[in-house]
Amino acid sequence: MVFTGTETLFFLLGIITTLFILGLIKYNKQLKFNALSWALLGTGSFLCIFCIAWSVSAVLEGVPRAASMGMVVFGIPSLLMLLLGRRFAIKKSK
Amino acid sequence: MNKKNSEGSNAINRRNFLKLGAAGAAIGAVAFPAKAKEEIINKINEKTAGDFIKTHDKFPYEINEDYKPHSNKDIMFTGSFWNFHSEDEDVINSGKEFSYKTFMHFEEKKGFDQLSKAMNAGGWALHNTVSPLGSQAISGSGILKWDQYRKKEGEFIPHHDWINESQYQFGNKQEAADAIKRAARLYGADLVGITHRDKRWDYTDFVDAQAIMEGRHEDAVYGWERFPFEPKSVIVMAFEMDYEAIATAPTDIQGAGAGAEYSSMTKTAYQLSIFLKQLGYHAIPCSNDTGLSIPYAIAAGLGEGSRMGNLITYKYGPRVRLAKVYTDFDFTEYDKPIEFGAMEFCKNCMRCADACPGKAISFDKEPSFYPTHENKDNAWYNAQGIKKYYMDAKKCFHTWGEFGTDCGSCMASCPYNKPDFWHHRLVDKITAAMPGPVHDFMREMDELFGYGDVGNLEKIDVFYNPKGRSYNGH
Repeated sequence: MVFTGTETLFFLLGIITTLFILGLIKYNKQLKFNALSWALLGTGSFLCIFCIAWSVSAVLEGVPRAASMGMVVFGIPSLLMLLLGRRFAIKKSK
Repeated sequence: MNKKNSEGSNAINRRNFLKLGAAGAAIGAVAFPAKAKEEIINKINEKTAGDFIKTHDKFPYEINEDYKPHSNKDIMFTGSFWNFHSEDEDVINSGKEFSYKTFMHFEEKKGFDQLSKAMNAGGWALHNTVSPLGSQAISGSGILKWDQYRKKEGEFIPHHDWINESQYQFGNKQEAADAIKRAARLYGADLVGITHRDKRWDYTDFVDAQAIMEGRHEDAVYGWERFPFEPKSVIVMAFEMDYEAIATAPTDIQGAGAGAEYSSMTKTAYQLSIFLKQLGYHAIPCSNDTGLSIPYAIAAGLGEGSRMGNLITYKYGPRVRLAKVYTDFDFTEYDKPIEFGAMEFCKNCMRCADACPGKAISFDKEPSFYPTHENKDNAWYNAQGIKKYYMDAKKCFHTWGEFGTDCGSCMASCPYNKPDFWHHRLVDKITAAMPGPVHDFMREMDELFGYGDVGNLEKIDVFYNPKGRSYNGH
């Protein structure tokens, strides 16, 4: 094996982070986010990336329960924030 | 055309953004020298450590005036195995049970079967062969001997266990400390600290097991007059135990994890003593003998005290074994005790106390100067007068007797005991920065996330599982 699981994870996290940033820039052009949308979408994106990082790391160390809990504790709030941020952004742009 | 123009007018359009990113990454990779990167990483490490790891100039725990250094006779092993506390029947029986069960396997009990016992025996084998009494806190056992031989002219001694007549002089104290620590790491230590010799942590006397075995009971105890030189420094080393082995506590596989490091620390301490002898200085390698390892490790900046009584290191938590080397070399930079919030976390956590099968660990909220456990009136085994949590070693040893292993449930359950993954290091730093009430929450989360459960036989399957491991060299 050339790369360890953690090394591969962090390489993929770099790509995911780039995609999130590009997505935020793209939708900002379309919807012109206000401060609240930026805060919700920014925090939601960060939490989502953190959730992926945490859960994959927990699987790699052999504690699947920590991965599941990571999804509950970080994943659900991140999805809620992203959805709320999107809703506020769409509402404002109408 | 218009559309194209409007795209081109953007300061950073999508294509340019990607180009810029790629160009930046390429320039960064080519132009950013490795040394500069290393310096930045070191700066970040120093900065974050500075915020969370405090150093102390003095020993960080309060010590009462009536504190007396501990006698070698009052260590649980000497009290039990060598009959120094024959009046304490439970202790004597626990020692007998433990010794008896160590050589037995129970096929119906997973983790105590022949495979597990064999694993345990292999772990301890080197220690048991070359320094069998070191773990029992008896000095001078096997290669941990006190000999400070001076080679005669023309004498050929290939193992180099003799003091060089020429004393090596280091350029400065930091250089000396760096060289000693590098040697210890090379020989197998995971953490190394150097501290002043402190008589408070030395045993007041020593048990002579040889004399007891030969029936010379009048010679069973001797004093520091037999120590061959005046020690000035103590080099303390910590050895990380296998995470998956310790997680199987209280089985024999856990015992194997402990034994493997006892073997390792015996070897490393001996090698480091030879290094110092060949530099022209006196040196004596020690296991659990000659002095109390935990306060010496705290003084040498390896970690903090804890509720369970073990050392908590920043990197490995309590999952370490400790060895020391006494030397008269003192031209060195000494380490300072550190604090990263472990003792503070212990106030609220109590996971080790919950997990302990013998209920030997205190549930007191605050540390105290004297034992508070139910055997406090006859706690000859506790070094009293230091503000700490007092573990009832008698109950702990009783549990060892029941299992026939050295248990380790406290270490396995501790939230500071984690494998080396980035997310645990992150949580450790957040924990250190948070005030007490948050620690309750952190403890609950640690449990909810599935860490630190003891007595879980599935952990044995995880220990043996070949998935994710490679044994074939590629």
